[in-house]
Amino acid sequence: MTEGRRARVFHETDWNAFLIFLVIMVFLCIFLIFPILYVFRGALFEGGEFTLSYFRLMFTDPFYQESILNSIKIALSTTLITSLFSLPLAYLLVRYDFLGKRLVQGILLVPLVMPPFVGSIGMKQLFARYGSVNLLLMQLNILNKPIDWFGGGFYGVILMEALHLYPFLYLNTAAALANIDPTLEEQAENMGSSGFHLFRTVTFPLILPGYLAGAIIVFIWAFTDLGTPLIFEYRKVVPPIIFSMVKDIWVNPMGYALTVMTLIVSVVFVLFARRYLGRRSYEMLGRGHIVPRVRRLSGWKLPAVYMLLAVMVFSALIPQLSVVITSLAEEWFLTVLPTVWTTEYFRIAITHSVTVSSIMNSLKYSVFSTSIDILLGILIGYLLARKKFPGKDLLDSVSMLPLAIPGIVIAFGYVVAFTRTPLNPFVNPTILLILSYSVRRLPYSVRAAYSGFLQTSVSLEEASLSVGASPVRTMIRITAPLIMANVVAGGIISFSAAMMEVSDSLILAMQERFYPITKAIYGLNLRLGDGPYVASALGIVGTLLVTACLLAANRLLGKSMGELFRA
Amino acid sequence: MVKVTLKGVSKFFREVKAVDDVSFNVREGELFFLLGPSGCGKTTTLRVVAGFYKPDIGEVYFDDQLVNAVPPYKRNVGMVFQNYALWPHMTSYENIIYGLKVRKIPVSERIERAREALRIVKMKEFATRYPNQLSGGQQQRIALARAIVIEPDVLLLDEPLSNLDAKLRIETRNEIKRIQRELGITSIYVTHDQEEALSMADRIAIMNVGKIEQIGSPREIYSNPDNSFVAGFIGETNFLTGEVEAIEQENAFLVVKVSSGERIHTMVPKNEFSIGQKVICSIRPENIRLLDKMPSTMESDQVFEAQIRSLTYYGVIEHYVLHSFGGMEVKATNFNPEEHKRREGESVYITFDPEDVAAFPF
Repeated sequence: MTEGRRARVFHETDWNAFLIFLVIMVFLCIFLIFPILYVFRGALFEGGEFTLSYFRLMFTDPFYQESILNSIKIALSTTLITSLFSLPLAYLLVRYDFLGKRLVQGILLVPLVMPPFVGSIGMKQLFARYGSVNLLLMQLNILNKPIDWFGGGFYGVILMEALHLYPFLYLNTAAALANIDPTLEEQAENMGSSGFHLFRTVTFPLILPGYLAGAIIVFIWAFTDLGTPLIFEYRKVVPPIIFSMVKDIWVNPMGYALTVMTLIVSVVFVLFARRYLGRRSYEMLGRGHIVPRVRRLSGWKLPAVYMLLAVMVFSALIPQLSVVITSLAEEWFLTVLPTVWTTEYFRIAITHSVTVSSIMNSLKYSVFSTSIDILLGILIGYLLARKKFPGKDLLDSVSMLPLAIPGIVIAFGYVVAFTRTPLNPFVNPTILLILSYSVRRLPYSVRAAYSGFLQTSVSLEEASLSVGASPVRTMIRITAPLIMANVVAGGIISFSAAMMEVSDSLILAMQERFYPITKAIYGLNLRLGDGPYVASALGIVGTLLVTACLLAANRLLGKSMGELFRA
Repeated sequence: MVKVTLKGVSKFFREVKAVDDVSFNVREGELFFLLGPSGCGKTTTLRVVAGFYKPDIGEVYFDDQLVNAVPPYKRNVGMVFQNYALWPHMTSYENIIYGLKVRKIPVSERIERAREALRIVKMKEFATRYPNQLSGGQQQRIALARAIVIEPDVLLLDEPLSNLDAKLRIETRNEIKRIQRELGITSIYVTHDQEEALSMADRIAIMNVGKIEQIGSPREIYSNPDNSFVAGFIGETNFLTGEVEAIEQENAFLVVKVSSGERIHTMVPKNEFSIGQKVICSIRPENIRLLDKMPSTMESDQVFEAQIRSLTYYGVIEHYVLHSFGGMEVKATNFNPEEHKRREGESVYITFDPEDVAAFPF
C-alpha cells in the first residue's frame, strides 16, 4: 500500500462505524474465539509444554478409534441417505405440477421443527424389542422372534438423523433447481440433448453448488449431534463421549482433544465446500423473471409419483407420529398400539414444576438471545452493507464463523473457558446459555439484516436525506420499515432454534432449576415409569411453540425463508 | 432563487480522480446540463452538489454561502434519482408529503402543496397508489413531484429519463422543461444523451474523464466546439488531420494540407496557429454538399471529385460515405432526400464552406 493510498483509505473510513466494529469484535473474541482457543490449549499443551500425545492416544486407542470411525460412518451414511431422498424429491416438486403438491411441500418441512432426539424417544418405543413394529410383524407371522432394528443404536441414530435432516438438503437443492435459467436447458435440448443426458450434463452441474451447500449442513449436523445418540444410549460416537467428559475437564484432557478433532473436521469440510462453491457459483444469465419449466404430470406416471411421495411423506412423519402416540399412551404393553389413551402426560407437561420451569427458562433464554441476535444482526448487517472501514472482511468472516463451529464445540469451550470466572456454568449457566444460543445463530440474523440492507437501495435513503430528513429520521422512517420483515423473520428463526437447541443446553445446564426444555426432556426420559411419556408430551409442547414461530416467519418472509437455511 | 458555484472541485475514489478541478457557475433559474460519456464524473459532480460526497479539494457555494460542510438534509435540494428511489412502503401521496412532514409544514398546507405538486406533474388520480402499481413514467413523475414539493433551492436530476422507453422519454423531456420553466428552479441535470441536453438546456457543460471540456449554450457547443473531444462527442463529424500550410487575413483564415494531400480552407480558427503545425479539422456531415457537376462559378477551390462508397436511406435523411479521388474519406448527410437519384459507385462533386470547418491543434 502506497503512502497516498493509505491516506485515502484513512480518509474514507467512517470512524463511528470503526468504533462499533471494535466493540463487536471484542464481544466475538470473548464469546467465540477465546473459548475455542482455550480448548486448543487444553488439547495441545501439558503443563505449559506443547504435546501431541493426546491426539496420538485418540488415534491409537481402540475405543476412541472406533468411536471416531462410527461418527464418520454415521455422518457419511446420513448424507448419502438424505441425498437419495432429497434429489428426486426436489426434482419432482420443482419440475412437475400435480394435485396436492403444496400440501406435500408443507409436510416435508415438518421434520425441521422437532429435534431428532425428541423423535428418538418415540422411535425407541415403536421399534423396541417388544415395541409396536416387532409385535405387528410377529402378529402377521412375518417374524418369529423380535429383531433389534437399531443395531444397538447405530442404525437408529442414522435413521433419525436422516429423517430429521433431509429437508435441509431438499430445500437447498430445490432452490437451486428453481433458479436455473430455463434457456440453459432449452439450449441443450436444441442441440439434441434430452432425458437423463440433459440432467447429467447441464441440470446437475448447475444445481451442484446448492446441493453441496445442503450436504455440508447435513454432514456436520450428523457428525456432531449429541441428543440422538444419548437417547439411544449409544456411547460409541464422539459427541456423547465429549458430553461425559465435561465433568472431568480438570483431570482428563481427552475431551479437549476430541473437541478439537470435531472442530477441525467440520471446519475442513466447510472450507472445502466454500472453495469449491466459490469457484462454481454461477450467475444465471437470465435477466428479470425466470419462468421455471413446470410440466403437468399425467398418465401412468401420476399414480407412481403419488406412491413414491406417500412412502416418503409417511416415513418422514414416523418420528413425529411415534412421539404423539407415546405422549398419549396410558397403557401400552405388548400391544401394537396403546390400549388405553390419556392426556395426563400433557397435563403434567404444562403443570409440573420441572417442566413448567423449563418452558419458562427456554422462553427467557430465547428471548434474550434473540434480542442480542437482532441487535448484532442489524449492526453488523448495516456495517457490512453500508460502511467503509478497515477490518470489514474480518468482521464478515468472523460473524459467519459459527456456521462452521458445531454447538458441542462452543458449549464445551464455554465450560472450560468460563468455569473459573463469574460466569461459571456449574453455578449459574443463564448468561452462557443465552450467549451460546445467540452466537450460534448470529450468522442467520446477520444474513437476514444484511440482505435487507442490500435490497433497500441506498438511493431510497439518499432521497430522504435530500428532502431534508436527518439520518436518524431516515433510519426510522425509511430504512427500518423496509428491512423490518427480514429482521423479524431472522429473529423468529433464531428464536425457534434457541427454543429447541440441544447440544448447548445439554452441556451447559447442569442443575435442574436452570434446565431449558430440551434438557428437561432428556432428564425426564431417563426417569423410570412415566418418564419417556412426559418427555414426549413436553417435546410436542415445544415443537408446537416452534411451529407457531416458523409459520409466523414464513408469512413474513414468504418464499425466501428456505434461503436462510443454506450454508 | 439560488445560484450554484463550484470552484476547483476534485473528488477521488482511491487512486481514481473521478472529478478533476471542476468549476462552473449555474445562474438563478437556469437549467444547466452536465453531459458526458459514462464514467466521466458527471454523476459524482451532481452528488457533490447534493452533499452525498464531500469534495476532496475545492468549494461549493449556494449563492455566497459555502456549503461544503452542510449535510445533504440541510441543503434544501430536491433530487430526482435515476431509479426514482420511491419508497415502496409509502403511497405516492405519502412519498410526496414526506419532505413536508420533515419540515413540520402544517397539515392543511401539506395537503394543498401536495395537490399542487400532483397537478403540476399531472398525476392527481394516482395519489393513493403504491410505487409498484405505477408505470415507469408515472413513477418518474411522482419522483419529480416529491423533489419539487419542498420548494427546493436547487433541483438535481440524475439521468431521470434513462429508464423510460424512447417515445415516453421525448414526452417527459418536454414536461420536465415545462415544469422547470414554470417553477423557475435553478436546476442541474445529468445525462449522457446529447439530444436531451441540446433540446432542453439553457447551458451545457461537457465533461470528459473528470474534467470540463466546454461550457456554453447548446448552439455554441454544437456549432462552435472548443476542441476535438467536444466536436466528436456532440453530433457526428468528419475529422481530417493535416498541417497548416498558410495563414491568411490576420489569423482568421487557414489553409490546411490534409494527410491525403488535398488542401482545405478554414475560417474559424479558435486558437493561434503557426505554419507547419499539425492540426485536426472537423466538418459536420450536414455541411458537406453533394453536386452533380462541377460548379461553373468557382467561388473557392474547395470542390473535390469523389465516389459514393455507400448510401443509406433513413427516411428524414440520407447518409453517404464518400472517397475523394485524392484519398479523403468523409461522411455526408442529405436532408429531405427527394426521389432516389444517386447510386453507390457513382461519382459526384463535394464541397463545403470554410466557415463550417473547425481546426484544433492536433
